[in-house]
Amino acid sequence: MTSIDLHVAKKLLWLILACSVALGNAAVSRAQSVCLPLPRLLSISPMGGQVGTSFDVTIAAENMEEPGPLLFENPAIQATAKLDAQGKPIANQYTLTIAHDCPAGLYEARVLGRLGISSARIFSVGKLAEVVQKPGNTNLANAIELAVPSVCNAVVSTRAIDFYSFEAVEGKRYIIQCSARGIDSKLDPVVIVGDSRGTDLVAQRTGDTLDFVAKTAGKHTIKIHELTFKGGPGYFYRLSIEELPIDAPMPIYPSTRSVSAFSWPPSGLALEPSIAEQEDVLSQSISLPADISGRFYPAADVDTYEFDAQAGQTWWIEVASERLGRPTDPSLIVQMQSPDRSGWLDVTEFNDISSPMKPSSNGYAYDGPPFDGGSTDILGKLEIKESGHYRLVLSDLFGGTRKDPRNVYRLVVRPAQPDFCVVAWGLHMELRNGDRNALSKPLALRAGSTVALEVVTVRRDGFDGEIALSVEGLPTGVTAQGLRIPAGKMRGVLLLTAAQDAPQGISNAVITATAKIGEQTISHPMQMAQMVWPIPDAWSEIPSPRLVSGIPVSVTTSELAPITIAPSERRVYEAKLGETLKIPMIHSLRSEFSGAVLQLKTMGPGFDANPQFDVSLAASSSEAIINLASVKPPPGEYTVAFYGSAVAKYRYNPLAISLAENELKKAQEEQQRAAEVLTQKTQALASISAEQKSAAEAELAEATKKKQELDAKVTAVQEKLKRINEQATPRDTAEIIISEPVNVRVLAP
Amino acid sequence: MRSIRLLHAVVTHFFLCVIFICASLAGPRVHAFASEPDAAPGPVSMVNEVLPILTKAGCNAGTCHAKASNGQNGFQLSLLGFEPFEDYQHLVLEGRGRRLSNTAPEQSLLLLKATGQVPHGGGVRLDPNSDPYRVIVEWIRQGALYDGQSATKLRSIEIQPSEAILAPGAEQRLKAIASYEDGSQKDVTELALFESNESSMATVDEAGTVKVQDIPGSVSIMVRYQGMVGVFRASVPQAFVVERFPEAKNFVDELVFGNLKKLGIPTSELTDDATFLRRVSLDVAGRLPTEQELASFLANPSAGKRDDAIEQLLASGEYADFFANKWTAMLKNRRDDASDITSNFAFYSWVRDSLLANKPYDQMVRELLAATGTVLSNPPVAWYKRVKDPKNQLEDVAQLFLGVRMQCAQCHHHPFERWSQDDYYSLAAFFSQVGRKPTATRGEDMIFHKRGLAGVANAKTGQMRRPAPLGESVQEIPPDQDPRLKLADWMADSKNPFFAKAVVNRYWKHFYRRGLIEPEDDIRDSNPASNPELLAALEARFIASGFDLKDLVRTLVRSTTYQLSSVPNPQNITDLQNFSRYYPRRLAAEVLLDAVDDFAMTRTDFPNLPPGTRAIALPDNSYNNASPFLKVFGRPENESVCECERIQTSSLAQSLHLMNANDVKSKLASATGRAESLAKSDKTPEQRVEEIYASAFSRKPTPEELATAVGYLVEVRVDANGNPIDPGKSMRENLQDLLWAIINSKEFLFNH
Repeated sequence: MTSIDLHVAKKLLWLILACSVALGNAAVSRAQSVCLPLPRLLSISPMGGQVGTSFDVTIAAENMEEPGPLLFENPAIQATAKLDAQGKPIANQYTLTIAHDCPAGLYEARVLGRLGISSARIFSVGKLAEVVQKPGNTNLANAIELAVPSVCNAVVSTRAIDFYSFEAVEGKRYIIQCSARGIDSKLDPVVIVGDSRGTDLVAQRTGDTLDFVAKTAGKHTIKIHELTFKGGPGYFYRLSIEELPIDAPMPIYPSTRSVSAFSWPPSGLALEPSIAEQEDVLSQSISLPADISGRFYPAADVDTYEFDAQAGQTWWIEVASERLGRPTDPSLIVQMQSPDRSGWLDVTEFNDISSPMKPSSNGYAYDGPPFDGGSTDILGKLEIKESGHYRLVLSDLFGGTRKDPRNVYRLVVRPAQPDFCVVAWGLHMELRNGDRNALSKPLALRAGSTVALEVVTVRRDGFDGEIALSVEGLPTGVTAQGLRIPAGKMRGVLLLTAAQDAPQGISNAVITATAKIGEQTISHPMQMAQMVWPIPDAWSEIPSPRLVSGIPVSVTTSELAPITIAPSERRVYEAKLGETLKIPMIHSLRSEFSGAVLQLKTMGPGFDANPQFDVSLAASSSEAIINLASVKPPPGEYTVAFYGSAVAKYRYNPLAISLAENELKKAQEEQQRAAEVLTQKTQALASISAEQKSAAEAELAEATKKKQELDAKVTAVQEKLKRINEQATPRDTAEIIISEPVNVRVLAP
Repeated sequence: MRSIRLLHAVVTHFFLCVIFICASLAGPRVHAFASEPDAAPGPVSMVNEVLPILTKAGCNAGTCHAKASNGQNGFQLSLLGFEPFEDYQHLVLEGRGRRLSNTAPEQSLLLLKATGQVPHGGGVRLDPNSDPYRVIVEWIRQGALYDGQSATKLRSIEIQPSEAILAPGAEQRLKAIASYEDGSQKDVTELALFESNESSMATVDEAGTVKVQDIPGSVSIMVRYQGMVGVFRASVPQAFVVERFPEAKNFVDELVFGNLKKLGIPTSELTDDATFLRRVSLDVAGRLPTEQELASFLANPSAGKRDDAIEQLLASGEYADFFANKWTAMLKNRRDDASDITSNFAFYSWVRDSLLANKPYDQMVRELLAATGTVLSNPPVAWYKRVKDPKNQLEDVAQLFLGVRMQCAQCHHHPFERWSQDDYYSLAAFFSQVGRKPTATRGEDMIFHKRGLAGVANAKTGQMRRPAPLGESVQEIPPDQDPRLKLADWMADSKNPFFAKAVVNRYWKHFYRRGLIEPEDDIRDSNPASNPELLAALEARFIASGFDLKDLVRTLVRSTTYQLSSVPNPQNITDLQNFSRYYPRRLAAEVLLDAVDDFAMTRTDFPNLPPGTRAIALPDNSYNNASPFLKVFGRPENESVCECERIQTSSLAQSLHLMNANDVKSKLASATGRAESLAKSDKTPEQRVEEIYASAFSRKPTPEELATAVGYLVEVRVDANGNPIDPGKSMRENLQDLLWAIINSKEFLFNH
């Protein structure tokens, strides 16, 4: 994965800002009442293209008036704004070129807007010919004919079924794939193949590939709909059809990676495993260490590997299957042969990799992050206490009745190789009673704001030390603090602060996690997870978080944070253990708030125990209080911040109002002048000679046309102003408020 | 001397043996107070004498002192005396012994109440001059001893005779003979309970006298005594010799006609093509045939066209929709929360697609029983969302897939069956290792096999029960194996006595209105099939076919029996269980709504589903809320595993709905509906009537019907002032009236 190409983006950012303020045209209404608007790329249509082609795409974005550059993580994909006949950019439209050497696969795109860099959206690159759905294929008569092979980019509508047809050859095998969830769509697709009259023959409703062998030659239908017949712009899909030899294995189509996949693979894992499962062997002999590839196939498959081990040995066992994208739940039992060789005795059992943080339950409100870093895979320690003959019994707890040869696994048994991996996501918290928002949170910072990332780690093979985080490539004026996961802990908080005077900017940040393990210093890039869609209520729509590539960070000055709470001095505040530390804080207030008081908690390693304290939202300063008797941190230096939630009277893009008012005034003046000209021309016509009449009539027609154009313009600007005013009307919006970080030194008493 | 002593010993031993054998043959003591009033009574057995008296008197019935909570008015007995020791405690020890008086047994509260000498809510249950009364008095006089450990164990009961051929109006006295483990036997007729499975065919009194009515067929009398069940089966032929039966097309006909021959019941005639097509379309695909299908079918001269039509229906999506609707109701696919929609749709679709693909029934059940993973990746997991308690899981599986109702055995020995609480918890043990992990969807879990030795403790004894299917055992299931797979293996075994029988009987009922065993999910020794040979043959065929559901349907509807007319003849008009004719039945709610829509050329709009979705394709019960039609015609709420949740009876509300409800009226008056379409067409009135009859009844009108209908259509309507209204409008309104009359006719409402 490479970072998005930003050099053009930087140049255009100021231009976007100016245009957006002027246009004041939010793409999507801001219905949410939690979290300030962030820029989000919702869809690209078509959502994929063929290698070596150039074509037009249309995007839909949220909280973005006039989308700027469309940026791809792979520079082999380039987008330029599409221009109209006058050479002006057409809103939301781009011409896209995919280089001939661009590998097929999934790539992320983001778009830059007034508020900064958007959330990511998948764009597919393939080798098959591509077509785009023509609207109206919601009945058999209007079925779209698909060539074999080809891909169709489409969107399903609410309560609708999309119809396609293809010509089948008797006895041939057709692989029909409807890519949806794996390319960021909200669609849980149903794919049905029917005969020429549309009578159903076979259906696939689990999102999996449909494997169809035609019993008869001739036209067949394909029907696509959402499992519960939902639809709309977010329910896009790529329908591909290919012919495959009868005995060819079913292909696995590319898909985004689940959050759990951040912990795979372990460092230094060979590209190919050294041992392959022997499916016809009841129990396979191996020697340790071992790196085995196998599969949970057929149904209720149990794979057994036998080996000799010596007392005192310690082995680490890791199994990946769910993290490879398979719907499995591996379970591994270690057994030792009884001394009389009559049977096997249980030694230990391995199940599941626990999430580093307990994810939120489905209760009334959040009681943890809405991200789950755990997996149904296996990572555990095997201590051999007695020399003897052992075996690993590996099965899939989800595999009792399912037989899918694609359910592969990788089983690694190794001596300890202490290591770690790190993933981060935007902090979510309950912002009002019962709030369960699961919004995608790009790192689009408002100047004067501090945002928090929860950083969690999966530790391998006994590694328990501190993990340091280093951040490079932040935009000017943005700083990062809270750069460590303490020893023995699974979670840290990384704070990104855009200074109040930070300039507009964007850059690709690189965040690296580093730890000293033994004599070695080991570094890994931090991965990021993000909600695919902005879900206002995780009860009504199940969020689908995934890993994203790259960490673009932007700063906007179009809007500033509604409030900045910063320590009065940039220094290290000291106190002895057991004392109460009071830190003077300065408030920079830029918005009205509902309520007078902001209740602040403390974030920082171990500082969660600090009692909550109140500050006045109306005041220009306050005092942060840390009770070190409650927190009881070991002496040392810490970075902490204070956070809570407040309801701002948020106004969306108010600067656009005056610009629109000026535009209206100017248009009305032009309209007035045109009206006067028209009056003159009308009067002149009455007193003009016959030979001049023709020319005068032409002038009158011209004046009339001009007047009509200006009338229309005035009406359009009036409507725009009305819309801008509506958008800028103060709206209660709950937001996470985080102070600028404070450095604290705790001294021994 | 030694030889003399030896001889003496042998002779003594011989006499002792004779005495012992004689005593054994005598069995438990029978108190013959009436015949031997002066004889000194021996010890009275509480278990073998007192409790059966209480059972016969109804004291320990579920509606009386054996009520589940606390008996009746503070006095509790175990159901039907299944727990003697508990009964001993309640009778003798509870309430400081106030219920019995050893010194004055006749003054015991138990007897004063039972004889009505003091007020008793249950009325008089014992005659003070009867033997049973005297037995209890004597038991109390002897100290009301508990003999649960020492009493001779009952082994079985035999009904004499076990079967008979009885003429209408005949009577038959039954005897119940109890056999004990010590080899003794006893006539327990007086204390046994008798119950007819079809009181319209035969009644039985308390003394065991069966009186046959005048309906021909088979009838059973269930006889219960102390947890044992026996059956008397009577054939009631009528005095009519059937000379000729229609040609048998398959074994179904051979066995049905053979039975009818024995009973002297002739069949009705073979039904005509039009009625057949309507019937089979409704039964297989839940819809009326289209006019095109009807015309094409009637014009087809092929001898095999009925079989061809069956094949076309079986290949249709509507077949899968219709039967998925049937199965998902029993599998409780109900929506209690908006978030259930995804799992409900996924589950419904899995059932529907399985039926469409004709997945073998045993495989389908296996995938459901042993489902693991998430709902989206493996939809049968959704069943475990609906049915979370292992006890409910076993009860539903037993009733739905085995036709055995196990609910009773959770708390006590099954009253009509051999199932004990141990059987109940042994079956529950198959579900004891179902593990759950939370998902992002509220109320929805991932299901996995939780490693460990499967077992469930018997709630009464506390003893751990390992998995064992009904009446059988499986090898010990190691902790690594999902016991549910073993249960599925047992079910799919060709020797399984329940699995195939339950589904063929259920499907038989679907097509023939009445199960061979009725109710269809209550298969037990005491509830025999009306035609056991037929049931066994269907079962064998189904197993041999590889549990092929389409083959089962094909077998049932290809038969001549299925294709008999519903019009009775004088000799089979009373037959309600031997299938001598097709038994008409009201269309199910969804089928009827679709039929009205098809007939009216309209479509009911269901929330969130594509326009045009048929009512038989609704995935769950949530649509009942928005459709008064479905509600009033009894579409189930998917709360029960029993098909009886669907209301198939007729009601005044249904009649009123069809006659007056807005949703029906709006369909008839639809601007795109049939009345409008016909009014605008250039068809003659006769052609219009013919179209209406073809689409509603799948037949042409009779000359009388045609004349009446045409006469009505061409009638000119008048306005309030008596002036003729516009002829077009008049025709449109007359057409609407005619459609209204048609959908309110029995011929439309019934499959016949």
